[in-house]
Amino acid sequence: MKKSKISSNNLLLLITIVLFFVMYLAGCGVYAGKGFTKVQNFMNILINNAGLICVTAGMTCVMLTGGIDISVGSLIAMDCMILAVGIERWHWSSPALMLFILAIGIVFGFIQGFCIAYLDIQPFIVTMAGLFFARGMTAVICKEQVSIVSDKIFTALSNFKIQFPFGGAVNKKGVLVLPYIRITVIVALIVVVAIYLMLKYTKFGRSIYAIGGNQQSATLMGLDVKKTKLKTYMLSSFLTSIGGICFCLNTMAGTTTQATGLEMDAISSAVIGGTLLTGGVGNVIGSLFGVLINGTISALVKANGKLISSWANIVTAILLCFFIILQSIFAKIKESKK
Amino acid sequence: MNRQIAAGVMILGSAILLSGCQVTEERQRETAYTSASSQTETEIDENLIVVGVSQVGAESDWRIAQTNSIKESLTAENGFYMIFDNAQQKQENQIKAVRNFILQEVDYIVLDPIVMSGWDNVLQNAKEAEIPVILVDRDVEVEDDSLYVTSVVTDMVAEGRNAGYWLEDYLEKQGREDEDIQIVMLLGTEGASAQIGRTKGFTEIAGQHENWKILEQLGGDFTQAKGRESMETLLKKYDDIDVVISENDNMTFGAIDAIQDAGRSCGPEGDMIMISFDAVRAALEAMQAGEINADFECNPLQGPKLAETIKRLENGEEVEKVQYIEETYFDTTMDLETLIRGRAY
Amino acid sequence: MSSLKKLTQKRLFLPIFSMILVMLINVIYDIACGNMPLQFFVITIKNGVLYGRLIDVLNRGSEIAILAIGMTLVVSSSAGTDISVGSVMSLYAGVCCMILAGYGNVNVSSYAHPLLVGILGGLAVTTICGLFNGLLVAYLNIQPMVATLILWSAGRAIGLLLCNSQIVYVRVPSFQKLGAYTGIIPTPIIVAAICIAIAACVLKFTALGTYIQSVGINKKASRIAGFNSAKIILLTYIICGLCAGLAGMVATSRIYSADTNNIGLNMEMDAILSVALGGNSLGGGKFNLAGSIIGAYTIQAITTTLYALGVSSAQAPVFKAIVVILIVVIQAEPFKAYMKKLTAKRTQAKEAA
Repeated sequence: MKKSKISSNNLLLLITIVLFFVMYLAGCGVYAGKGFTKVQNFMNILINNAGLICVTAGMTCVMLTGGIDISVGSLIAMDCMILAVGIERWHWSSPALMLFILAIGIVFGFIQGFCIAYLDIQPFIVTMAGLFFARGMTAVICKEQVSIVSDKIFTALSNFKIQFPFGGAVNKKGVLVLPYIRITVIVALIVVVAIYLMLKYTKFGRSIYAIGGNQQSATLMGLDVKKTKLKTYMLSSFLTSIGGICFCLNTMAGTTTQATGLEMDAISSAVIGGTLLTGGVGNVIGSLFGVLINGTISALVKANGKLISSWANIVTAILLCFFIILQSIFAKIKESKK
Repeated sequence: MNRQIAAGVMILGSAILLSGCQVTEERQRETAYTSASSQTETEIDENLIVVGVSQVGAESDWRIAQTNSIKESLTAENGFYMIFDNAQQKQENQIKAVRNFILQEVDYIVLDPIVMSGWDNVLQNAKEAEIPVILVDRDVEVEDDSLYVTSVVTDMVAEGRNAGYWLEDYLEKQGREDEDIQIVMLLGTEGASAQIGRTKGFTEIAGQHENWKILEQLGGDFTQAKGRESMETLLKKYDDIDVVISENDNMTFGAIDAIQDAGRSCGPEGDMIMISFDAVRAALEAMQAGEINADFECNPLQGPKLAETIKRLENGEEVEKVQYIEETYFDTTMDLETLIRGRAY
Repeated sequence: MSSLKKLTQKRLFLPIFSMILVMLINVIYDIACGNMPLQFFVITIKNGVLYGRLIDVLNRGSEIAILAIGMTLVVSSSAGTDISVGSVMSLYAGVCCMILAGYGNVNVSSYAHPLLVGILGGLAVTTICGLFNGLLVAYLNIQPMVATLILWSAGRAIGLLLCNSQIVYVRVPSFQKLGAYTGIIPTPIIVAAICIAIAACVLKFTALGTYIQSVGINKKASRIAGFNSAKIILLTYIICGLCAGLAGMVATSRIYSADTNNIGLNMEMDAILSVALGGNSLGGGKFNLAGSIIGAYTIQAITTTLYALGVSSAQAPVFKAIVVILIVVIQAEPFKAYMKKLTAKRTQAKEAA
């Protein structure tokens, strides 16, 4: 029985990875004339989604315990606004602000985790309240947009390019353009690796899987379910704050409507990546590929240039449907084998 | 057994959905403005000027008219190959689109920024790739002015001021220039340059008149539903409103509904003066019906000027940093019948 | 003391208490503004129609009330929430206006097809959406939130496609009537009242309510007892889809157009909030429709009060969040147990003294 669970898990991961490569290569084939084959295209997907990758990693952990966190988008908006207002109006230095934001993330996650783990309230409701609260606070802090111009460190971080010495392409004007990525991508990839190692090799990680699999068995095994859940939500909000900093480095501004709907992108990426919402099954590497698939769909629609952007939503929804049904079929097969 | 049937239905349903989407897509392509026949989807025709357009969205009639105008001007016949992106009102999507244009090595990037700030990074990328950026309709706030070549905008502040001047004139003609005038304002989306500009322009003129009192400025989000709601709130709060300034036509429609529901009236024959912005055709028809006093155009037909600007840049000419589109206004003293017939949107 | 306890344990205590609290705030506000103390409740007849803040709350809360009906049944039977209702409302708008205006037109003053065809077409599509959700949840055992996530993202996009990304106006008086007045009462109030009446009658005179609650409390036991649990869950989702369509009908008629970007935005949150505020457990089981309806109007009253107090629509969610947290925390079992322990300690200390 254990074998079939692992193999179905790995099978879903395999399907996700294969799907990503198929889509990307198809795009390269069809849209080669529009620059899809350039290395920078892939780099752009990473740069555009660095924040989302961090958030999805946190979301994966939460979903592994059988819960959900829909406050992430609003938390990012609040973080960006605090960063922007903090630099421009309160004149704090950006390293101090970044630490402050990470602290806010931890506190936010603590409050949510406490209500979910110790007060036994449904995660959807608590995190929905978190969503409202953070979104409203963004507007309370400042109603207009604020762009970040004053802080040298922050601006330098944002503009810093890590260029690859290879893979460049000569553009029409005769300039050799080398592909580059930004710091945020490095941060996101470090986060993914760290979470992967944590989930696989630490006690905390194994507890998360155990709770998601069967909460009662976990309690009988002696795990402190409540504490683990609390720590998971704190971790998720912490990672969301990191994602928020990456987001802000990308847009360099705070707006009240930033990152609306990001939570659904994170959830759909995680589901496409093979994480079951019922908990216990999932892999942060799969979530990474889920984000990449989302990015590829968006890039494909843009490369086409003739389709309305709504198509990206529809394709994502269809993929989501496909994966959900696939997961359910696997679960059914597993149950019938028992 | 039941479950397998359901699963089968699901997969079948998804397949039908997909194919249904294909059908809709094809029908939609027929009605699309750009002639797809001369432009392939996979290759960029290098003989044409390649322009990447990043548009805000399709949230109002005005925006749609502007989009159509751009699409009609940047056609293959005129020598352009246009790549169009609709950002669905998210700045993140616009940033992604511009990055994509840089990747596709377009000749020019046209940007209608949804918000004013946050563009430094991506415009810097465009500058490094030596792709000129033209702003349309709205401005950006950047450290370095050289990040964009020119902006083709409408002077929102002038629109607001003109509304103020018009009101001055109108009150004088009516002999009410010494009366206490109570004004309420329905504002657009907070932070949108249209809202900021028009509010600034009007309040500037209002500040010059001691007897003009702005009772309240309430947000209407540029939508009809919210305009109606906010107008209802204002009507309940204040008994004695003389003038309503509504920063776009969609909100005005909602406000008119609210006013009529409350048993009051607006327009030349009514007890409130209604001033609106945008001047879409439907609003002019409402003006004909006597519901709006004056409407200040915000010209969405920016396509021709845009095309002209690009052609001039191609020829190596210098263009002014800021180019204003011609705008006018309408009120009930004009021959609305002929004007409406000639109205493109 | 014990009578107070009895009062707080009644099913409808929470929603009625919240409603009274909101009204009190309004009264205080009125006094502070210098209006009549009971200005909030004043209903006059202006221009031949009912007019007053209370009427506004009832009018604008119609959509939420209709949604709350469907959502209550869904929550009760499947312990999950249907987050697609807002997008389905937008999809209704797209379908209905596209039928009424004919494909490709954006501004019409007469119908391309009869009004009834448009309305029924839209309702048919939303019912199919409910069917889709129900099949996923009931027969494939997918978590409700995940299953409805699909339509949440796709519904609005499909509606936009149907209208070619434009706002389609249908300026025909009979269409506008649905959002305006019938006689002296705003039509949305009448539509909501009819829906509530039908739902109440069905629940009272058939055993449907009992079936739904039984499936919600214990699915397996119900199946063993002879109910077709899956079919009942499917039925609740179909009803929810239908309710979303009706709410969409009201919302569209208000602005006599299909503004697919904005219709129903964030309404799923308000609907879920109403159910929670109505004293219903979000974990499924027993439900109380009256509570949800009162909860729906309370949410609307909170929104209206906040606007009247000058809180902008961007900042209002903070207060909604605080309200939600307070409600669910008070209702949480561990919290109740903690309070019991506290009061037990206190009575012990009193007796010892």
